[in-house]
Amino acid sequence: MSGKQRIRMLSVYLLLAAFAFTFLIPVAMMFFGSFKPDDQVLVQAGRLGSLLPTEFHWFNYRDVFARVPFARYLFNSAFISLCIVAGGLLVNSLAAYAFARLQWPGRDWVLLVVVALMIIPLEAIAVPLFYEVTLLGWRDTYWVQIIPFIANAFSIYLFYTFFLGLPKELEEAARIDGAGPWRIFFRIVAPNAKPVFASVAILSFLTQWGALLWPLMVTHSEAVRPLPLGIATFYSLPPLQWGDIFAFGVMMVTPVLLIFVLFERWFVQGVATTGVKG
Amino acid sequence: MWLRKLPILVLSGWLGIFPWLSGCDRNSEADLMVLHVWAHAGQEAERQVLQAQIERYNLQSDKIQLKLTFIPERDYNAQVQAAALAGDLPDVLEFDGPYLYNYIWQRHLIPLEDVLPHSLLDDLLPSIVSQGSYRQHLYSVGVYDSGLGLYARKSALQKIGARIPVSAADAWSIDEFNQVLGQLAALDDDQAVLDIKLNYSGEWYTYGFSPLLQSAGADLIDRQSYQSSDGTINSPAAVSAMQQLQYWIQQGYVDSNLDDAAFTSGRVALSWVGHWEYERYRNVHQEDLIVLPLPDFGHGSRTGQGSWNWGITRHSRNSLAAAQFIVFLMQVDEVLAMCDANGAVPGTRSAVQQSALYGGQGPLALFAGQLMQGVSVPRPKTPAYPVITTEFQNAFQQIRNGGDAKQALDIAAHKIDQDILDNQGYPFLQ
Amino acid sequence: MTSVGHQSLSQDTRLAWLFALPALLGLLCFVLLPFVLSVILSFTNLRLGSPLPLEFMGFSQYQRIFTDQAFLAALRNNALFALIVVPLQTGLALLLALLVNQPLRGMVVFRSLFFMPVVFPLSLVAVVWILVFAPGPQGLLNQLLETITLGAWQARDFLHDPVWALPAISLTSIWQGVGFQMVILLAALQGIPHELYEAARVDGADRWQQFVCITLPQLRNAIIFVVLITTILAFRLFDQVQIMTQGGPNHATTTVMYEAVNSAFGSQQVARAAAMTVVFFTIVLLITLLQRAVSRHDRVIE
Repeated sequence: MSGKQRIRMLSVYLLLAAFAFTFLIPVAMMFFGSFKPDDQVLVQAGRLGSLLPTEFHWFNYRDVFARVPFARYLFNSAFISLCIVAGGLLVNSLAAYAFARLQWPGRDWVLLVVVALMIIPLEAIAVPLFYEVTLLGWRDTYWVQIIPFIANAFSIYLFYTFFLGLPKELEEAARIDGAGPWRIFFRIVAPNAKPVFASVAILSFLTQWGALLWPLMVTHSEAVRPLPLGIATFYSLPPLQWGDIFAFGVMMVTPVLLIFVLFERWFVQGVATTGVKG
Repeated sequence: MWLRKLPILVLSGWLGIFPWLSGCDRNSEADLMVLHVWAHAGQEAERQVLQAQIERYNLQSDKIQLKLTFIPERDYNAQVQAAALAGDLPDVLEFDGPYLYNYIWQRHLIPLEDVLPHSLLDDLLPSIVSQGSYRQHLYSVGVYDSGLGLYARKSALQKIGARIPVSAADAWSIDEFNQVLGQLAALDDDQAVLDIKLNYSGEWYTYGFSPLLQSAGADLIDRQSYQSSDGTINSPAAVSAMQQLQYWIQQGYVDSNLDDAAFTSGRVALSWVGHWEYERYRNVHQEDLIVLPLPDFGHGSRTGQGSWNWGITRHSRNSLAAAQFIVFLMQVDEVLAMCDANGAVPGTRSAVQQSALYGGQGPLALFAGQLMQGVSVPRPKTPAYPVITTEFQNAFQQIRNGGDAKQALDIAAHKIDQDILDNQGYPFLQ
Repeated sequence: MTSVGHQSLSQDTRLAWLFALPALLGLLCFVLLPFVLSVILSFTNLRLGSPLPLEFMGFSQYQRIFTDQAFLAALRNNALFALIVVPLQTGLALLLALLVNQPLRGMVVFRSLFFMPVVFPLSLVAVVWILVFAPGPQGLLNQLLETITLGAWQARDFLHDPVWALPAISLTSIWQGVGFQMVILLAALQGIPHELYEAARVDGADRWQQFVCITLPQLRNAIIFVVLITTILAFRLFDQVQIMTQGGPNHATTTVMYEAVNSAFGSQQVARAAAMTVVFFTIVLLITLLQRAVSRHDRVIE
């Protein structure tokens, strides 16, 4: 390797390391802080010590389990998110296929409306939606946290752009063989769309995992409350117990991190073929 | 290929079963009446006491079973409001101080004077009665009330030779207070000598600092009619009182208290906060800890009051049973048990008498005295309270960050008045 | 002509509706309907839980919010925030993607590291960053800046400083979001055929020229996509504001969504909040259409 190339390689690594360091600061603070007593966290807040494992105790984690039914909240969050993701993958991909591959009157107008709906955040419709679900009697259940979020404009859009980019030959071939549209979708299109399914799954899972406003409005029993509401218990009255908050944060983020690490390759691949094609 | 469908099928099955399971009521006794109780999830000790009380009550009653749900404190009002909208309120629940009146106005609560015994009603602290009363009816009772004052380190005050007030009547005047601050600051490394809990958020600011306005002769709203704040919350007296506060912050006298340890670590000599810090402060400063009344801005030292209080909703199918539960909670032993846990001022005179902290010559007798002698001022008893407190908090934030005090208070007055107009003056509809 | 082949148009239509119905029904019931309700409510005086009868108020809610200092500040802040965050985040994402795209060892690790913040719920991110922004010389960021500038930096209380509060929130958002953009740009980068670079090198183009003439044009669609999504998300800014600054100081960080949620739940003015969200939707829609018109992207809707 030439000297110039070596220098280039080193500078790339250096730059990356610098960025990585800055990126990791809050994460290290949270992770290592979760093992320290609260006053230590605050004392070290400004110093390098906050980024290093100076002490190691488990009591914050114990506290978290003692103060809130963490296992229950974890189950609730997981269950709700998985239902939304599973339902969403099915329902949104089917709709996107209809937009991408089928001709029907009004298709383009409906698509336009769907894309416009992408803009509307939950906060904007929270109150009317709340009235709606109250009328339906869904308050304080799992249903109310799942059903309104299965259909998702953004997911439809991602699936749509991906399906547009799939080569039609496979589907043509299957049709010539006499396959019906359901079979084409489930046996040909879907298996070839693993990347976009992975991306949509990850994105919607991440969104739902951290959802706070809606569960706050519609649930009150611990039986159905998700994790973010649990953190609210810790972030209530001062003195803020940073150690506990961090422990909660670590436990909340770890499952998702693990999932991401496992599916990262698919995710990158999936993203590559969605909104990006020319 | 069917393998891919399997997870979806399993999940759908799960979807069907679990909600049903979670909705199952564990109570299987047929003619047992279940009363739903909501309480705020306060400190650990408080929760444990309430939990134990519920359990004991359930044991001693064979007809009524209480089912308790804890709601996180920070979002308590939002959750109660949501439940109220949905018609989903429990039989008995706590209200956070002055948010009570809005629920009364929304017709969710029943009057209590007919279902509670006279002996209890007579025993309540005047501040509790004042808090729970609205339009000639009593709608709530509080097991405990709150105390607000200035904690100080005696040694620090002695070092500068300051006079030490012993009751609200001889509280420091504002000039004296400024002098004390200046003298303490001169001896202090970082000039910060006062802690006003700037790390707190929300209701604290209205609770902790509206007494400032009242002591200056102003208020949050005109209490003759409760129809307008203009001229009251932004009166010259109010503006100058808030400017005084701003002055302290800008002079550097106030510690930002991010670690909530300004007073306990000794960084500051004074801490403007409520009864809930007593135990923590005492553990650190022991005999050196003293409790002082808030400074007098001209119209006498004033202080805050009010805390969680219990009410019975209209939806309750057995309000008498609910009332029995409240009577139980207000028994002297039960009140003292709760106050032991959270350090608050007991809500009944008999409990105060027997309290080591608040009775007789106890260290916090000042707080109890303030509540019984009318030094404390309830936060405005109006359904407009949520807006009043939101706007005052906004104004406080502006002022604390250096904004123009008059402008901030003017905006608050305008918004409050607008809200009252929008609600047609909050007429009391039957 | 070319739909799913031999089936007639009406069969196609029936099929399409079958496929699309669950999702469309869901969107109709749970997004479109509440939004339409919001629009209707914005012309009334609905308050949360009020026993008073509902009244029709015409445009007066809109009148009020456009004369409200806080709301105008919110509009301004949203625009500022988008103007700061979109270019910075995109630029940083591009830089990181370029770095991580190098054929060196360990790039997967860096890629995961940069993506990690995306996995954090916004509320958690906000809570942790409060500590990072701690005031006084003990605060982490203050310390860092002091070290870097060799003592020239004066410690600030970022979250309570009218000038620094919005940049602080921007920094938090960029930290949380850049990983997502980086992955998109990275994927696009990896899709650029090598031959293009080969040809350019043969023609004597240096690295910079290669970047400007090959990389950027090839990334055009990806960048446009990323800018569009980030802009929409930037206007929805809420969680960080609620947790870190509560809209202050002096409305320096309040946003349209924050004002709307506060109006609805803090002041119980549902109609007012509805008006704000209608304004919000209109503005973002206009911006989105503008961006699409400017980009001449022939991808989706003709």
